[in-house]
Amino acid sequence: MTKRRMFLRMITASLLRRRSRMLIALLSIGIGATILAGLVTIYVDVPRQMGAQFRSYGANMLLLPQDGGTLTSDGLAQALKSIPDAALVGAAPYRYVRLDMTTRQQSFTAAATDFEQITKTSPYFSIEGAYPSETRQVLVGKEIAETIGVKVGSTMELTYQPSNTSTDRTPEESRVPGASLSGKAEGFGAGVVYVSAVLDDEAKIASISVDASTQTPEYGGLVPEDEGFLNQFIGKTLPLTLGEDVDALSGATVTSGAVVDALNTATEAVAAVRPKTLNFTVTGILTTGGEEEEYVFLSLGDMEIMTGEDKLDVAELSVSASVDQLEEYAASITDNNDGVQARLVKRVARSEASVLEKLTALVFLVTLVVLLLTMICVSTTMTAVVSERRREIGLRKALGASDGSIRAEFLGEGLFLGLLGGVMGAVLGFVFAQVVSVNVFGSSITFQPLLLPAAIIVSMAIAAASCLLPIKRAVAIDPALVLKGE
Amino acid sequence: MSLLELRNVSKIYGELKALDNVSIHVDQGEWVAIMGPSGSGKSTMMNIIGCMDKPSKGEVLLDGVDISKESSKKLTDIRRDKIGLIFQQFHMVNYLTAVENVMVSQYYHSMPDENEALEALGRVGLRERARHLPSQLSGGEQQRVCVARALINHPELILADEPTGNLDEANENIVLDLFAQLHKEGTTLIVVTHDPEVAEAAQRTIVLEHGKVAREVINENFGK
Repeated sequence: MTKRRMFLRMITASLLRRRSRMLIALLSIGIGATILAGLVTIYVDVPRQMGAQFRSYGANMLLLPQDGGTLTSDGLAQALKSIPDAALVGAAPYRYVRLDMTTRQQSFTAAATDFEQITKTSPYFSIEGAYPSETRQVLVGKEIAETIGVKVGSTMELTYQPSNTSTDRTPEESRVPGASLSGKAEGFGAGVVYVSAVLDDEAKIASISVDASTQTPEYGGLVPEDEGFLNQFIGKTLPLTLGEDVDALSGATVTSGAVVDALNTATEAVAAVRPKTLNFTVTGILTTGGEEEEYVFLSLGDMEIMTGEDKLDVAELSVSASVDQLEEYAASITDNNDGVQARLVKRVARSEASVLEKLTALVFLVTLVVLLLTMICVSTTMTAVVSERRREIGLRKALGASDGSIRAEFLGEGLFLGLLGGVMGAVLGFVFAQVVSVNVFGSSITFQPLLLPAAIIVSMAIAAASCLLPIKRAVAIDPALVLKGE
Repeated sequence: MSLLELRNVSKIYGELKALDNVSIHVDQGEWVAIMGPSGSGKSTMMNIIGCMDKPSKGEVLLDGVDISKESSKKLTDIRRDKIGLIFQQFHMVNYLTAVENVMVSQYYHSMPDENEALEALGRVGLRERARHLPSQLSGGEQQRVCVARALINHPELILADEPTGNLDEANENIVLDLFAQLHKEGTTLIVVTHDPEVAEAAQRTIVLEHGKVAREVINENFGK
């Protein structure tokens, strides 16, 4: 038999055959380890737990089309790949369009969205009735519902009124190959002259027509029919200057100038689109206490039918992650997706972080206190064990045990207790954390595989540290006490 | 040749002279009894011989080496290597079995060897009781385990402190017989006792009184 085996035999015998006393020491380590392991589990799990809780306060990230870009449904799906599935709670796309309810001569902001995602990103939405589940169904904000008097089950006729000209383009932007231009300018006697032109493949004027019906018939009124005058424009590039690029029609100088001005300020004409009207059934009335009550919500599909466009104005994302991770995700989305930019809703993200910090600090503090209490408890028990075993320690020293041997034996017992206590702590601690988690956070926690070795190492360290003082006393015991008289 | 020699040894606790200028010697292989009433300095002398205490004055030569000035760490080494101890109250590790108690002594000395330990228990007639805990053994059996433990490392000197003080006559005889065997094998024995019968079993008796050697008695009947 080796010395090591004898050492193990002695310390296990000491623990197993002296049950009552060692049970107390084991219990103090085990209970300490249990509470520690439990707290650490909660500590590790709190961000996840609380993250899920926080997500009920709404979106913490927005995806927006970047300047000049367009956000589409496909673009959104692509962008979402930058966020791990586990972290993404929900992503609700929105398209805001003004719709008319001609029967009531009202117009509202209509928000087209994905209702399934809304329940995830905006769980605080309170609905009377239900979310639309089929096409041609709408959810109406409470304020609108009260104004126009609709209830769940009512029908609404909504009309999309497209604008005839694109208003947001400058004349310069309109001078593209193949564009149809239309413009107007003030001519003689404050009468308006209308001009339309078509540009060829090189953005040169291919054809031109003028409406000068407001002008004096025998002077300016002749301009639309004068081929000699109009032919001067063919093949020219805008802008033009009267007197240089083209000559004025004799006797109609002001009208000629108006034609040039109208062309120079002309913008691209958009083909007239007929208004699109659809009939909807109201499935629910929405109460939020916020501006959403002034909106009508419909599905993206219905909106696409009405507007003929697949386009999103914004997507609200609810992501369960720390501020740092959120920033990382946002940067990754902005970098990897052209025309899309991601922004954090700072207020939500920051307040989450600060609450988490406070909570983890609290758990940390409690952990520290429990650690200290455990050490005091174990140390006291071990001190009692040492005084109880004074004679045995004296005997061992009389038999030739060095101070090192005595130290090793008690430390060995302490570490063995720590090992047992650690295993007990890891198992019971998980149960403890589970109970706390279910009762406080209402959700179960995942077992951390690292918990077992960590709990064992920590409780062994605690046990060893707690044994230092008792061991010092054990080493100081005089072997002579085993002799007569003691 | 003397194994142990005390030269003018004194041990002074404040005013009290527990040992007062004592000189004795014990030869290799000799069986010596130390007698004396309570307070005569027996325990103090035993502590000094057992390397568990140091004299205030004088020299203690064990195997030719002066151990009176050694550090307690060094004394522990000497005690472990050269001395086997037997106590009045038996003193076993109460959660270890008989054989394990013998092995503890081996463990501190060199290597635990269960077979050798069992052999030693066989020698004291306790082979069958080897797996019993001290609480399951009688006083006599416990003291025999202690004898086995003391001899397991083949010490040059066995130092016994009132080895039969808590034993009945039958067990006392068993222990004394064991001592006689060890003596025959050449082991040096020093037995501290107040029991004249135990002292008479030895070759020579040193009588202490008031911290001094009062007289030495040679046992004429030894071996008869």
